[in-house]
Amino acid sequence: MIGVQAISETAVAIRTAGLGKRYRRVTALSDCTITVPEGRISALIGPNGAGKTTLLRLLAGLTQPTTGELTVNGGIPRQDPAFLASIGFLAQEIPLYRRLSAEDHIRAGAHLNPCWDGESVRERLTTLTIPLDRAVGTLSGGQRSQVALALTLAKRPRLLLLDEPVAALDPLARRNFLAVLADAVAAGGLTVVLSSHLVADLERVCDHIIMLAASRVQLCGDIDTVLDAHQVLVGPRKDTAAIERDHRVVQITRTPRQVTMLVRRNGPVIDPAFQASDVSLEELVLAYMGQDAPPALTQLTSIGDDQ
Amino acid sequence: MTWLVWRLHRAQLYIAAALLAALTVLLLVTGLQMASQYHSALAACSASHSCVNLASTLFLGSHAVGFGVIMTLGVPALFGLFWGAPLAASEFETGTGQFAWMQSVTRKRWLAVTAGWMLLAAAAWGGAVSGLVTWWSGPDNALQLDQFKPGRFDIMGIVPVGYALFAMALGLCAGALLRRTLPALAVTLAGFIVVRAAVTLWLRPHYLSAITVTYKLFSPFTPTGSYWQLAQGIRFPGGGLVPAPNGAAIDGIPVGSLPQACAAAASGIRPGPSCRQALAAFHGFIAYQPASRYWAFQGIEFGIFAALAAALIAVAAVVLLRRDI
Amino acid sequence: MDGRSVAPPYLQIVQQVKQALQMGVLDVGDKLPTVREVVAATAINPNTVLKAYRDLERDGLVEARAGHGTFVRRRLPGPPPGTHSRLGRSLARWVAEARQAGLDDESMESLLRVALQAETEEEIA
Repeated sequence: MIGVQAISETAVAIRTAGLGKRYRRVTALSDCTITVPEGRISALIGPNGAGKTTLLRLLAGLTQPTTGELTVNGGIPRQDPAFLASIGFLAQEIPLYRRLSAEDHIRAGAHLNPCWDGESVRERLTTLTIPLDRAVGTLSGGQRSQVALALTLAKRPRLLLLDEPVAALDPLARRNFLAVLADAVAAGGLTVVLSSHLVADLERVCDHIIMLAASRVQLCGDIDTVLDAHQVLVGPRKDTAAIERDHRVVQITRTPRQVTMLVRRNGPVIDPAFQASDVSLEELVLAYMGQDAPPALTQLTSIGDDQ
Repeated sequence: MTWLVWRLHRAQLYIAAALLAALTVLLLVTGLQMASQYHSALAACSASHSCVNLASTLFLGSHAVGFGVIMTLGVPALFGLFWGAPLAASEFETGTGQFAWMQSVTRKRWLAVTAGWMLLAAAAWGGAVSGLVTWWSGPDNALQLDQFKPGRFDIMGIVPVGYALFAMALGLCAGALLRRTLPALAVTLAGFIVVRAAVTLWLRPHYLSAITVTYKLFSPFTPTGSYWQLAQGIRFPGGGLVPAPNGAAIDGIPVGSLPQACAAAASGIRPGPSCRQALAAFHGFIAYQPASRYWAFQGIEFGIFAALAAALIAVAAVVLLRRDI
Repeated sequence: MDGRSVAPPYLQIVQQVKQALQMGVLDVGDKLPTVREVVAATAINPNTVLKAYRDLERDGLVEARAGHGTFVRRRLPGPPPGTHSRLGRSLARWVAEARQAGLDDESMESLLRVALQAETEEEIA
């Protein structure tokens, strides 16, 4: 799979090769080869069922792969206190003990983890005016998310794996959440992989992207590099075979008068007939998600659509 | 880890403690009453030398409390249902396993500490109830001598501790395998009943070979103390088994199986010497476990259930450690 | 932070700092907010902020002092600080006056264009 890989001389938090997970008849993930350098906040994007949750669970060691290999924080995910202490995993369902309060969870964390920063949880929750002594089940969805995130950060992990952490949050809560996350990364020593549907949020806070569709990796790399490598070409409707041969066309739209292509460049595009412009992350994601089966072309004809 | 086990289950432990306290009060009060009732009856009959029939004439305590004590048969099952089954199942069902097992403790340690404390609690509670019931039954046992019999054997001594360990382990294992609390509850209850019934009916009689004694019809043999009768009957001179009497019988032999010589006796006339001589060829037999083997049997049954508990914990460990969460 | 702006976030930060310098909000010797402060307020990636500050440093506008933060080093070339805000205020007064006289946006824009053209022609002449 051709991925736009970040050339890393820096340390690597995650490296996988041909990673795959098959359940009895369903392949949740196949041929997944990615690299996430340390210190990145990586956006794991993809439609439902693309394998995002499976990938996160594989990285956390909650699931074993059926094919391929992976290293996380320099080792293989395993049942080992040192490894478990170095990663934080936040599942989509916000798994907290509903009858226990936030304070109870903090105390549990103190007993269960070697380096635990319980004070940071209390501080954060107090700043957000979330009560520490009420049963967590009585808090709102957004408040629970904040509690769970604070608890996951208090472990002082090196890698944070978050599965749709902002899905249930209102815009203000989302902003708070992402600010806390970005702040933790700014403090140093943390890499984050965060899955979500909301591209706009991710564009602000993430600098790396892993894109999954149809259980395969479509893109993996620093966002700046990935955006640089793609261009939107608009031009008169004519033979595009040359361009299609030299570069990888991600999406092509033909109207009676012109053709619009989103290409992944293999070198500069030298064709004066076409006007080139940059692509936004959202357009790029939509284009890749709209593909049916990689790496085939998807031809969309929109009727009477003047670009 | 211990703190978390305590914090998660302290409500259940408080309830169990309250119930145990209530039971203690009930059995202490009634037990003391029964003891004094027994001792005064004993004193009375000793004075008049009529203690032989005491067992059939004296009823100690009340029917209600007696019934309650029999119901403690079900106490071990409660540990399995309310403590054991939800233990692993709820972690899967509510997803909290993704919190608990992603802290820096391995699943092995989680299981060891959780199962360790819960088994200990089950054994302690089961032992406490058993101890109370055993003490309470003292006078009754001395009177009726039936503590070896099924139904009474199961609620005294050390076997209830074995049952509690087994039920707890069964619940935990079912929860780890099925990952849902309700199915785990059903499996635990069914499994507990089936295994207990199977062991009581088919295994227990054979822990040690039963002693069989044959005796002449006119000098019947009765073992001493609280023996456990497994089989009893009369055999024809040829060896066949005489059917149990159903109506009129002479010396335990139904009129239909009487020898020719006793035909007259069958219609109500006192058996004559020829009849008695014919009957002498018949033999009675009794197969039983002697009272002296009571504690051996308690120990063996406890061992069986403890071993089952260990095996179930091992299965739960394999399931938890190897399978995906 | 304008989500609809086409400029990448780090450029927006650079532009905002330059604007602050022009308006006189920031002057030589002032300390820029720390990376963490910016991140906490805007929820953008810390690397983005770092890149922006490095750009500004490369342009010579700020300098990073290890352990103390990033400080403004010199002013932008151009009018002294405060000029922009002063001119902005008088422009606002002119716009209000024009609005009262009944001019719409297009008329005001064409007036400005005419004035600029006239000035250019004057310079050429």
